[in-house]
Amino acid sequence: MLPTCDACGKAHLPPGPVCPFCFSGNITWEAASGRGHISTFTVVHKAWFPAFQDETPYNVVQVELDEGPRLTSRIIGADQQRLQIGQRVEVVFTDIDEELTLHGFRIVTA
Amino acid sequence: MKIDAAIVGIGTSGFGRRLAESQLALAAQAFKSALADAGLERSDVDGLSIHLGWPLGPDYDRIAEAFGLEIRYVNQAWLHGRFVTSALQHAALAVSAGLAEVVACVTAVSFTRERGFLGGPGDVEGNREEGGTHGEAPPYGLTAPAGGAAVAMQRYMHLYGATSAQLAAVPIAMRNHARRNPHAIMRKPLTLAAHQDARMVVDPLRLFDCCLISDGAAVVLIARGARARDLRQKPVRVIGMQGTRSGRDEFIFAPRGLGINQQSARRSPDRQIDFEVFAQAGLEREDVQGFYTYDAFSPLVLFALERFGYCAAGEAATWVQGGRIELGGALPINTSGGLLSEAHVAGWNSICEMVRQLRGTAGASQIANAAVLQWGTAWGDSVILAA
Repeated sequence: MLPTCDACGKAHLPPGPVCPFCFSGNITWEAASGRGHISTFTVVHKAWFPAFQDETPYNVVQVELDEGPRLTSRIIGADQQRLQIGQRVEVVFTDIDEELTLHGFRIVTA
Repeated sequence: MKIDAAIVGIGTSGFGRRLAESQLALAAQAFKSALADAGLERSDVDGLSIHLGWPLGPDYDRIAEAFGLEIRYVNQAWLHGRFVTSALQHAALAVSAGLAEVVACVTAVSFTRERGFLGGPGDVEGNREEGGTHGEAPPYGLTAPAGGAAVAMQRYMHLYGATSAQLAAVPIAMRNHARRNPHAIMRKPLTLAAHQDARMVVDPLRLFDCCLISDGAAVVLIARGARARDLRQKPVRVIGMQGTRSGRDEFIFAPRGLGINQQSARRSPDRQIDFEVFAQAGLEREDVQGFYTYDAFSPLVLFALERFGYCAAGEAATWVQGGRIELGGALPINTSGGLLSEAHVAGWNSICEMVRQLRGTAGASQIANAAVLQWGTAWGDSVILAA
C-alpha cells in the first residue's frame, strides 16, 4: 500500500498529511505493485546492533518502487556480494513476531 | 540588512580521545583561550550561538551559568554537525543587527563519551518515525551517519565509475595536512595501500573514510566590523553567506539529484541560487584560495566540491587526484587535517584554521598570501571569509 494523491495521482513516501507534489490533503492508500529496482545499497560490516550481530555483514538497500517512491529495506536470500544497482526486485513480507511485520525484497530473475 | 561581522578571536582546548575533562571544562579552556586571543573580557560577550548541546556538549544556559556570562542573544540549533554553518551565520546576523556586541560560538564535544549517538541502539534519533536524519532505518539495520554517506557513495560510484582507490585521495590529503599540524590527532602517514587494506565499515566506506571519534572544544568570537578593527587581532571578515538547502530533492549526504531517499534521480544543471555566496562576497569562485568543509566521511568532500561548482557532476573523484586538494595544489582543502585527521570538533577546528590562514599565522600549513577562503558543506550552505 502507498499513500497516493487523489488530485495528482502521485504516490509518496514517507506517508504525510498532504501530497508533497500538489499539496492536496486528499490521500488514499492504494495497493502497490510491490515491484521496483535497487537504487542503491550497502553492506554493513560493523555489528552496531546486537540483533544483527549473527548475520553481520548484512545488506541494506534502497528500492525505487515502480510507483516512484523509495524504501529502505533488505534483500532476502541473495548473495549480497552480487547485489547490483538496477536489479529488479519484488516485495516479501516477514513476520518478526505477532505484532511486527517487516518488508523485504527478493531479486527477480528474468 | 548588510552583513557586518568579523571573527575577532579563536580558541581551542587540546584535542584527543577519551580526554578526562568534561565537555564544559574543555569549553572553559577554549573560551579563555579565545578571549585572550581577541583581547576581550568575558563581560564583553553578550551572545551565544551553539549547535551541539546536551548530551554531546553543553547547552547555552549551562555555559552562561557556569562561566558567569550576561547573555542577551541566544541561538541554539538541533544537535547536529550540520548546523555548524548556521551557528556561525546566526552569530554574524546577530552582531550585524545589533542584537549582540560579541557572540561566542561554543562547541565542546566528547564523542568518545557519547558514542552511542553514532549508531546502534543508543541512537534514539535514528528511530525517528519517518526515518533518521541521515537515512537511518534501524529495523533494517541501517544506522549511524556513516550509513547515509555509504548509500550515497555507492550510487555515485555506480553512476560515474568512481572507485574506492580514487576516494582515498581525500583522507590521504587530510592526513598529509594533519602531519604538518602538531595539534592533530592522526599524524602518521596514510598510504593508498593502508587505506585499501583497512577494514570495510559500511560498504564502500572503509575505516579511513570515516572521521575521528574524538573530544575537544573550539570557541569562535564574532563582532561587528567597527568593533573588530579596535581589537588585538587582524579581523577576519564574513563577506558572503548562503543557507542550508532542504526539500525532497535534498539528502544531507548527497548532491542534488543523486537519487537517494526521495531525491530525483536526475542531476539538474547548476542553479545560480546555489552559488549566491560568491555573488554576495563580490567575487568569483576562482578567487577562492582554499576550501574548508565538513569531512565527516570522505565522500562529503566530493559532494561539496560538486555543490559549489568546482567541478561538474560526477567529476569530483577524478578532480581530487594528484595533490590538487593538498597544500601547494590548486585548491587546498581542510589544511589542518579536518575531521578525518585533525579532530572532530564539528568543523570548528577547520573554521579556526581558516582564521589562522587569513591572519597569516598558519605556520607550516600557510597558504601563501591567503586572502579569501570558503567554508561550504555537502548540504549546500557556505560562508566566505576574507582577510
